[in-house]
Amino acid sequence: MDPNTSIVAKLDAFAAELLADWNVYSTLIVCGIAAFVVFSFVTSKDTDIHPFLLARQSTAFPVRQPGESAPYRSLETPHGFPLRSGLNVKDPGAPRWTSGRKGDLRDIWKAAVRGSMEEDGKVSGKQGKIYTVLGRKAIEHSLDQVTQDFNVIGTRLQSAKVNTVAICLTDSVELLAAIFAGAFYGIKTIMIPHNLEAEALSTLLQKSGAEALIGEAGALDLSLVAKSNEQLSQVIWVAKLGSRHMDWNDVPEDVKGTLEVGVWHELVEEKKDLAGLEVPSWDPSSPASSITTVWPSKSSAGEFVEYQSENIVSGIAGLLYSLPRPQRYSPSDVVLSIDSLSRSYPLCQIMAALFSNASVAVNSVAGENVDFALATVGVSPTVIIASSRTMSEYHSQFMQPHSGPVSKFARWVQVRSLDGGYMPSHGLLNQVANAGPTSELSLDKLRLLCISHRVDADPDVQLDSEQLADLRILTGARIVYALTGPGVAGAVSQTNVFDYRRFPGPNHFGAPLSSVEVVLKGVPDGAEHEEGEIAVSGPSVICGKTTLAGRIRIRNDNTFELRH
Amino acid sequence: MSSPEQAVPPPAEVMTIASPINLILLSLFVVLVYYQLRPKAPVSLPKGPPPVIFRTFTPTTLLPYNGTDDQPVYLAVRGRVFDVTPGRNFYGPGGPYENFAGRDASRGLACQSFDEEMLTQDLKGPLDDLKDLDGEQLENLQSWEERFSEKYLVVGKLVAEGEEEA
Repeated sequence: MDPNTSIVAKLDAFAAELLADWNVYSTLIVCGIAAFVVFSFVTSKDTDIHPFLLARQSTAFPVRQPGESAPYRSLETPHGFPLRSGLNVKDPGAPRWTSGRKGDLRDIWKAAVRGSMEEDGKVSGKQGKIYTVLGRKAIEHSLDQVTQDFNVIGTRLQSAKVNTVAICLTDSVELLAAIFAGAFYGIKTIMIPHNLEAEALSTLLQKSGAEALIGEAGALDLSLVAKSNEQLSQVIWVAKLGSRHMDWNDVPEDVKGTLEVGVWHELVEEKKDLAGLEVPSWDPSSPASSITTVWPSKSSAGEFVEYQSENIVSGIAGLLYSLPRPQRYSPSDVVLSIDSLSRSYPLCQIMAALFSNASVAVNSVAGENVDFALATVGVSPTVIIASSRTMSEYHSQFMQPHSGPVSKFARWVQVRSLDGGYMPSHGLLNQVANAGPTSELSLDKLRLLCISHRVDADPDVQLDSEQLADLRILTGARIVYALTGPGVAGAVSQTNVFDYRRFPGPNHFGAPLSSVEVVLKGVPDGAEHEEGEIAVSGPSVICGKTTLAGRIRIRNDNTFELRH
Repeated sequence: MSSPEQAVPPPAEVMTIASPINLILLSLFVVLVYYQLRPKAPVSLPKGPPPVIFRTFTPTTLLPYNGTDDQPVYLAVRGRVFDVTPGRNFYGPGGPYENFAGRDASRGLACQSFDEEMLTQDLKGPLDDLKDLDGEQLENLQSWEERFSEKYLVVGKLVAEGEEEA
């Protein structure tokens, strides 16, 4: 016998011996293996995005200046191509092959009023709605009503020769109308946060030199404000529904004669036939007026940041196109902002929603620090815009106490699918895991959560990837997480909507928007990761260039990580 | 077959889960489950080459970048230094334009001549100011410059020896 056959024979004998022990348990185990293989094959899903696209999310220019990092850009606008500067508005009748205009706020309103467009360019005319959320109820407004409002207010301000108007309102349909009045009637708009002390407000008004003020009736002491603001000639009060029966036309004695006071709903009622429902026509080559917002600072009431119309449209376009096509705003969306519209990120997102003919909901309590659960009752939004502080507080309030074994198991299963690269489905397990906190929320339709973080905000409210995973699981919505800074309309950078990866520590802020280019200054040579001060340039940045008070580090996947 | 008289039945006759075949199958199962459920690290791509640092050259410091000994190939056009390494076959050693490697190529490109005479001989002297070129030659130079800017990276600028920035 040669050795080969002996080995084969031995193996044969061994196998025979093994198989001789085959019994019902063996059959059971084999069935188990087969079932497991079939199960994991059937339940395996494609990732939402190719993993390589998340592994390198922005492009670095191959040349850098000494002491600086390489310039970083979004994958949408590679180096050597112009950054995204506008909405690409195509006027009806313009030849098909021409590139569109950058557009401005007036084009956004025109697009909203025109109604949704089909793929082939036909106008189907379905308009979005605007909702004001007051506590548990939502009031619906038609777009025509808003057009009428801003026509009345705009004409009044224009005839009073007002160049600059300060708006100090809670988020409301009047606030939106006032912004568009400024855009259509060539009045510079200054958005002042509504919760300021009369003193602080008065100082801000003085600094801004606004000749008109649109404010909430009864919310501020006019004689105090008027005393230190002699340039002020027009005041328009917006009276809440409950207090419209009162007479707000009263003018303090000492400023009688120089100051004219009107009440929004009365003015609209009086003049609505004159002003009409038509969107005023305009010359697209005429520049649109600027919008100034107040960036909070620790030392004073805040500093003014004046965004030119080009900055704003570029920021809007940057945010709009940062979402892949199926995730973008559509006419079936209801976009709720629970962050104040006097901040540029929520403002740009809401404008992007209006431009896409989505319905828009504004909340009178909106701000940087609101109760997420309370602010979202009343409407059933598909998209929510919130600040990192709101979300981080919501997370610590509702998620952490929620750690029973059942929800822990459900979370484990869903985190597994997130790690696998796809959103967990809204299944039974989801219901089990979420029983409790969501029961009071109307978040069934929620599909996207837009969270913004100020570059100089408290580092404690920065979200980490576990918190984001929790929020994805709890709300069933995808999340984009953006970094904002003074002087940059929209955002500096934003995470990819399909990026569910988890890393230790605070979550990164994704890649720059297509409207900006980011360079880090003061980068030490020879470090493994480039880290430095954030210098942002591009069409969405005021004066084209600014440096932010913050440091970021470039991670291996070319995303930005905020350092403190 | 076992008979009732036997006190201890032979082990092979009893159905047991602890047989070798079952143990093998079970461990196979466990390994499968582990591979399916173990946490997977996110995909990462290898890091690209570090960016080139933009620097200021003088004719002398530019000279070594002529493509010999696997050095990159640089050439200067009107004060801008281009990295033409991807076009090594043309601009590197042995290529038709090899005279330009590591030198100020402005005059040569403008005059469409690859000769040695086109180069500034005095490396310590001032840069070629190209004042004596005619319109056609300047146009020539312009089109070369545009082609370079499209294809190649600007990695530095060229200044004369002794200038402040040098």
